[in-house]
Amino acid sequence: MSVLFYIGALLIVIGGICDLFGALGLLKFPNFYVRLHAATVGTIGGAVVPLFGVALLALGADFLPHRYAIAGASFITGIIVLLAAPAGAHALAYAAHKAKLVEWKPKVDHLKEVRE
Amino acid sequence: MLESTFMTLMKLIIPLYIAAFIIYAVRAFRGPTVVDIILAVDCLSFDVAAFMAILAVYFKSVYLVSGAIILALWAYLLDIYVAKYLVSREVGA
Repeated sequence: MSVLFYIGALLIVIGGICDLFGALGLLKFPNFYVRLHAATVGTIGGAVVPLFGVALLALGADFLPHRYAIAGASFITGIIVLLAAPAGAHALAYAAHKAKLVEWKPKVDHLKEVRE
Repeated sequence: MLESTFMTLMKLIIPLYIAAFIIYAVRAFRGPTVVDIILAVDCLSFDVAAFMAILAVYFKSVYLVSGAIILALWAYLLDIYVAKYLVSREVGA
């Protein structure tokens, strides 16, 4: 059972490093559409991977009371974030393009060629 | 033995998450447009949800994880509502 604990601890460490890199990219990148890429690193790598890691770690931990409840709830939260974060980011990018909020100079703009 | 390993792990993990929260908050306060602020608040909410799941193991409490589920759903709701009102051009620039 302690194998699950160490796999979960490794996933939590990977998630923390991905979270810090995503935050640095969100601060340093120049444009909203480029910042969206760093935000994907920050949500999928920084929230989904530690949640699955907490699920495995709680399954392998013997010292924890209610460990099956913690493992199941964090696994469900990981699946919710895995489904909700790309859909929300896509809707936000579409809205920023439609409202013409961001100044940018693209080579091609397929979303503008489709309508109007 | 596993518990002391986990406490050593938390001394490594907590500064990483605190630094990420501070940097996300800087972008949320400095963001030039509405969508930058919404994106930073979104990332902050998902990461607070993950950190609450880690704290549930640290404090040995089940009740923190139920708050994490609500926080993840709330960030998605914020995205969808802001995108809806930006597309219909009722708010924003």
